[in-house]
Amino acid sequence: MNSYYAATLAVYAAVDIIACIALNLQFGVSGIVNFSFIVFQSIGAYTAAVLSMPPDTANGAYQVYIGGFQLPFPIPWIGGAIAGGLLAIPVGLVVLRKLRSDYQAISLLVLSVIANSVIMNARTFLNGAAGIAQVPGPFSDQVDPLSQTYQLLYVGLTIPCVLLVWLVASRIVNSPFGRSLRAMREHEVAATAIGKNPVQLKMTIFIVGGVIAGLSGAILVGYIAVWAPSEWLYPETIILFAAVIVGGRGNNVGAMLGALLVPVGFFEVTRLIPATIGGWVPPPNLIPAMEWVAIGLLIIGFLWFRPEGVRPEPRRVFGGAPVPEDLVSAGSS
Amino acid sequence: MPAALNPSLLVAEDVHRHFEGMHAVDGVSIEVPTGKITGLIGPNGAGKSTFLAVLAGTLPASEGTIVYDGQDITRMPAYARARRGLVRTFQLPSEFARLTVLENLLVAAPKNRGDSLWGALRGKGYWMVDEQPLIDQARGLLKRFGMTAKESDYAGTMSGGQKRLIEIMRALMLKPRVLLLDEPMSGVHPSIVEEIHHYLQELRREGLTILMVEHELHLVERLCDSVVVMAQGKVIGSGTMATLRQQKEIVDAYLVG
Repeated sequence: MNSYYAATLAVYAAVDIIACIALNLQFGVSGIVNFSFIVFQSIGAYTAAVLSMPPDTANGAYQVYIGGFQLPFPIPWIGGAIAGGLLAIPVGLVVLRKLRSDYQAISLLVLSVIANSVIMNARTFLNGAAGIAQVPGPFSDQVDPLSQTYQLLYVGLTIPCVLLVWLVASRIVNSPFGRSLRAMREHEVAATAIGKNPVQLKMTIFIVGGVIAGLSGAILVGYIAVWAPSEWLYPETIILFAAVIVGGRGNNVGAMLGALLVPVGFFEVTRLIPATIGGWVPPPNLIPAMEWVAIGLLIIGFLWFRPEGVRPEPRRVFGGAPVPEDLVSAGSS
Repeated sequence: MPAALNPSLLVAEDVHRHFEGMHAVDGVSIEVPTGKITGLIGPNGAGKSTFLAVLAGTLPASEGTIVYDGQDITRMPAYARARRGLVRTFQLPSEFARLTVLENLLVAAPKNRGDSLWGALRGKGYWMVDEQPLIDQARGLLKRFGMTAKESDYAGTMSGGQKRLIEIMRALMLKPRVLLLDEPMSGVHPSIVEEIHHYLQELRREGLTILMVEHELHLVERLCDSVVVMAQGKVIGSGTMATLRQQKEIVDAYLVG
């Protein structure tokens, strides 16, 4: 494993951790089944791209896109995060106010499919199906992006983002506000009856999740330098759901574990599969296809046998509480 | 509070609630006496729970007017009514299952500056000032209802009777002015029924207005100052249990058996 590979893995892990923390805030903590999550990551990526790229007349105008402002870091990343939050407002207002939660999930899934096909076919906005390429990363005009130094620099820019997102998410989850979100997840009608405004709670966390998702997209696009509709097909959201379910819904540690186990873990494990098995050469698409089977089996398996995930949501015991009997017995088992 | 001098806190005028042609509540008008416990009785399907839900805003009224504390709240959403002190409980268990018993109480507290995004982001040091008195208040309620040992258990693992208690305590955390109770005693152990009974009387002394749906008539008789009888979506009588027992059509409709 060389340092380029290690840096790639680290950036992907960071992006997935940030994304899973955002999805966990929406789905794990608040019960919003956001099947269009990847759209929020994607608008962050596109926004960061067009903020950092030169006008599309550059490089012989081989691609077309709106914007092209050539703005320096950190504006593209901040812009990506803001774009994710702004998108959450109209989507949330349409989907989260009146619909029952199962219809919310369906609407958001459909939104994801529609958004993808619109961007894919309307080439004037973001270069259509080919996507946009040669997105300049932060400081790439000062440090050679192919150098080892740049790889380290990128990881160095990414880690503070993970820490910031972690801090924000844990303050939310561990606060009375987080408790209201969990109460809404458990029983929305009862939460309303004790004075919680479910629309306000959902909109707030939907926007917060959108901001964090947008940031994750901005970080990713600066590193891989390309963004296209094939990067954000709706099944990508399912991978993140698998991660949150496997890791453990409702807590940030679980979301982080899930990000490391599912998207990053799969990436690593499939690398170890040999190209030939005893002289037999598997068909070229077999391994990617098997990945999807495995993701599906993971979700079903965990929901069936361990719905709380690898690291369950912790029970909150307050200072000065009497020790409950079942905690004592659980400790001895 | 000089309750008798106040106009009624909660007034319903000609309230209707239709479900696809079915008139669950069909023109109910009542004034809930302030500072008293009023029973709402009637056979199954009389529309008692639906009426309670309409008063609390869980279900919108199809027609009619609801006035609370002098203000028309007919179109006010349920959460806003609860914040103003008009609080209901549910007939079916409605605990927050994967919150602990203590958290079920704490979450209902209306004033906690950690209960907003900005408050949460400022961290524990900012909101703990509000949280600690609420923890003490909630523990006081738990002690009173004999559930101190359960405070750190998940509410979803409690028995039916304990869930009922959690719900009443949760409603009380809001410091309500009017409490709408939907069969608060059902499924509760007799000794706890006594405890609830005493506590409701104490709340009444403190000036709380209570409207409760209840099937156990001996409880209604002991606890309620007056009673409203509903059948088939309409009010068919009201008064004390003693006077109601003398009205033949009410006895026929409900009180027999």
